Amino acid sequence: MKLLELKNITKRYGSLYALDNVSLSIDKGEWIAIMGPSGSGKSTMMNIISCMDKPTEGQVIFDGRDITKDSRRKLTEFHRDKIGLVFQQFHLINYLNAVENVMIAQYYHSMPDEKEALEALERVGLKDRAKHLPSQLSGGEQQRVCIARALINSPELILADEPTGNLDEANENIVLDLFRQLHKEGTSLIVVTHDPEVGEVAERVVRLEHGKIISDKKNKQFIE
Amino acid sequence: MNKKHRMFVRMVLASLLRRRSRMIIALLAIVVGATILSGLGLIYYDVPRQMSAQFRNYGANVIFTPSGSSEMNQTEIEKAVAVFPSDKLEGYTPYRYENTKLNNLPVTIAGTDFSSVLKTSPYWHISGELPDADGKALVGKKVAEKFGLSTGDSISLRNSFTITEETDLKDIPDYEIFTDPKTGEKYCDHTLDLKISGILETGGSEEEYIYVTPDDVSYLTLSSRSCDIVEVSVAASKDELKAYLDEINNKSDAIEAKPVKRVTASETTVLSKLEALVLIVTIVVLALTMICVATTMMAVIAERRREIGLRKALGALNSSIIAEFLSEGLVLGAVGGIIGSFFGFLFANAVSMNVFSSTITFRPLLIPAAIIASVAVTGIACLIPIRGAVDVDPALVLKGE
Amino acid sequence: MFFRMIIGAFQRQWKKMLMIALTVALGASIATAMLNVMLDVGDKINEELKAYGSNITVVPGSEAVMSDLYDVQGNEGKEEYLGEETLGEFLTIFWANNITDFAPVLDTDVTVKNKDVKLVGTWFDHHFEFVKKGTTYKRDTGIINLRSWWDITDGKWLDEAKLSGDNYAMVGKKLAEELGVKAGDIISVKGTDAAESLEIVGIFESGDDEENYIFSTLPVAQKLSGNTGKYKKAEVSAITSPDDELAIKAAKNPDLLSGDEYDLWYCTAYVSSICFQIQEAIPGASARAVRQIADSEGKILEKTELLMALITLMSLIGATLGISNLVTSSVMERSAELALMKAVGAKNSQVTLLVLTEIILTSLIGAAAGYLMGYCFAQVIGQSVFSSAIKMSGMVAFLVTVMIIAVTLVGSLPAIRMILRLRPSEVLHGGH
Repeated sequence: MKLLELKNITKRYGSLYALDNVSLSIDKGEWIAIMGPSGSGKSTMMNIISCMDKPTEGQVIFDGRDITKDSRRKLTEFHRDKIGLVFQQFHLINYLNAVENVMIAQYYHSMPDEKEALEALERVGLKDRAKHLPSQLSGGEQQRVCIARALINSPELILADEPTGNLDEANENIVLDLFRQLHKEGTSLIVVTHDPEVGEVAERVVRLEHGKIISDKKNKQFIE
Repeated sequence: MNKKHRMFVRMVLASLLRRRSRMIIALLAIVVGATILSGLGLIYYDVPRQMSAQFRNYGANVIFTPSGSSEMNQTEIEKAVAVFPSDKLEGYTPYRYENTKLNNLPVTIAGTDFSSVLKTSPYWHISGELPDADGKALVGKKVAEKFGLSTGDSISLRNSFTITEETDLKDIPDYEIFTDPKTGEKYCDHTLDLKISGILETGGSEEEYIYVTPDDVSYLTLSSRSCDIVEVSVAASKDELKAYLDEINNKSDAIEAKPVKRVTASETTVLSKLEALVLIVTIVVLALTMICVATTMMAVIAERRREIGLRKALGALNSSIIAEFLSEGLVLGAVGGIIGSFFGFLFANAVSMNVFSSTITFRPLLIPAAIIASVAVTGIACLIPIRGAVDVDPALVLKGE
Repeated sequence: MFFRMIIGAFQRQWKKMLMIALTVALGASIATAMLNVMLDVGDKINEELKAYGSNITVVPGSEAVMSDLYDVQGNEGKEEYLGEETLGEFLTIFWANNITDFAPVLDTDVTVKNKDVKLVGTWFDHHFEFVKKGTTYKRDTGIINLRSWWDITDGKWLDEAKLSGDNYAMVGKKLAEELGVKAGDIISVKGTDAAESLEIVGIFESGDDEENYIFSTLPVAQKLSGNTGKYKKAEVSAITSPDDELAIKAAKNPDLLSGDEYDLWYCTAYVSSICFQIQEAIPGASARAVRQIADSEGKILEKTELLMALITLMSLIGATLGISNLVTSSVMERSAELALMKAVGAKNSQVTLLVLTEIILTSLIGAAAGYLMGYCFAQVIGQSVFSSAIKMSGMVAFLVTVMIIAVTLVGSLPAIRMILRLRPSEVLHGGH
């Protein structure tokens, strides 16, 4: 069953083509890595998928619904219901502690619930750090809070932008393990990265260059 | 309060309490603004009263003169003076003028109440002392120069009465009877011995009189006639004064109350300028201070663009972001306003003590005014940068370092 | 490279720099406006206080002490006078520019319609010229400014320049009622020496004894009383400094002052030193302070100046805090950028110097704009309150510049401390 379909997406900035007639289809439960060098259009694609940007041409169909024509407000509502975001720079609010940073996503989504937020933290192994401020957490811990925040509203899709870019190897592995677990549980994952190791563990790798898809194949470990 | 509201409060409080250095900066700006607002406000409202009291240095601004036939006696005067509120009445002094002779030369004596004279004529320069009892005199400088008198000298005032058949000599104590050698008229001399306790310098016509107690005048003239004029010093504006004087003139047949135009008209001129000065200074300083507060608040908010972007990425609606930031600003504004109005009161009081040596009148209304103003200024100062920031594309903000 | 970085900083963050410059400009304009108003408010209020009339009277000298006290008749009736030629000397004294108005007065007893009244000869709005040692002194002066409280109830003020001849008069309201005269009437006045016909130009209400008098020109009074070229008293209105200890000491006897004290006293516009100078200029005259006016003026001026000084102080503190506050917050905001500079190897001193140069340059631009704004505010205050310009003091420009630099430096201190403590790794990793 299809979760997301990009149909002939073009995004122009002036005369510059960030995405040039790109089509991509993603099934529910898939784990996709989008790879490519800087300037290849990864970020633009990510922004369009996460409803934070609109394509110049083409259609985005999410869960069977064309969202390209929705109003900004509708898009915001749609995006907060369906998508969880993980950032390279974590983007935690520095005056809120770990559990509050998770709760803020609940707050904007529906109803904050400290118990649920603590459970989410427990899931990423940070229950005992719940009352720490971001400045008291290591980079890996901050990223895990960020993942807990992305998970809290049970989104259909988790969108991660260079999630391991600021992490050391040990923390990178923790984060990748978390992704594996999420994948096993059936959550759809899109990871934008330039790190081949992160690409390797995904189910499917899409390579972009100059705004075009140059390859799209499944990793061998997932080919039965 | 549901969980959502609780979270809202939790976030606002966290932002205020955990971002201490920034919040202190913002709070400081608001406190300074509110201090200036309430301080200048208090001063502005109190200046007319305080300055009006200073203008009482010019002395009496009202005089009572007898009107018509009835005598201006003590009861009538007290009744008239009672019209002025006691906190506005600086003092009143009666004067009774009589002609008499010193060394056979005519001089004018004035009987007055020395206990109140400096209240209605604060500008009197006295070398020596004011008389504190009967038998002592304050001599005008011109009289003193004319007769070569100085403090401590004794003088003898002499009043002559022509004795006619009707004269009841029993009224006259220790008299001496003389007969004019030319006309054969009989007259008696009545003397008053005085010790000069001080010399009066004013640069005005007061220097031409000898001031003594009312009893001494009665003794010398053998008449307990009431005073000719009462000088009154009232701290009141032109219009208030007019209302009081109309009331007195309507109430009393014996007294005609008039403003001393020179003093009242000039006071109105100068005082209105002073008030206008303090008003416009207050407005200019306040306006500039408020803009200063606003720029600081804007800087503090502008710094949080990335956080606003993140909240949008998490699915926040513009309206809820505005609500959160605005309530932070409003809390800051209220706290700053309260602290500021306290400091403002301290400042205004210090100014009042230093300049006018009296405490400032506390105006409770200024506290809510200062708080509302600082909340309003802070609110507006928050809204401007937030409105700009919420329209920003979250993707761009989150990407940039 | 240093300059390229500074120029770069201005180009990249011109919005923030503009905000700092704006706040500094606001602070500087408050300081400029308030300091200038404060320094000039004394003179301005002093001019307003001239509404109370003259604060100095000049009368014939004190040889008036009676030589033969015990002569029964004395020299009563024998009056002392000053010569009209001495009037010009008021314009030659050291503090002549502080004398705003003066008028000679000659009063004499006259008979009008069989009634004995007092006639006062004086200047109303007199154009006066005086030549001494080749210098011409000019002044328009008279009681029109010394009787600001008079209300003209009928007719108008006697305008000497517009009327030809001298035979005009203004009559007090009470006397006019008693005589049954109004503006435009001609009255014949009989003096001790002559009789004159006077046209009544105006009726005035003064609220004091003067309502019983006739005011006419000086020559008329001189002719009526036979005192050609003489006057009895001069009323002088001068802008003075409030009395202080020195003035009180000098008032007792100027000879007791030390040389320096004497110079200071002589060159300060105390009412006593102006009196002293008038007496020096006009031998045989005695100049006296009218205490009611001079003292009160002094007190009110002192209070006003102190009040303005304290309000100014408050605004300065406010402006100072406002500026340093914003400087602190704006430097802190850039911690990430500064940490990056340190991470690529910039020394603490280099980062600090860069930040300070940027901030101080911005502040100075703001201060210059603020000075101009402050000038405008001061003039708005001057024009709207006193209808005259506020004098701008050069000292204020200097003071404001120094203040702004000092405030900016102080405001940067917490930021600099932060720069020194900054560990690049922490800042670059921990979000912001």
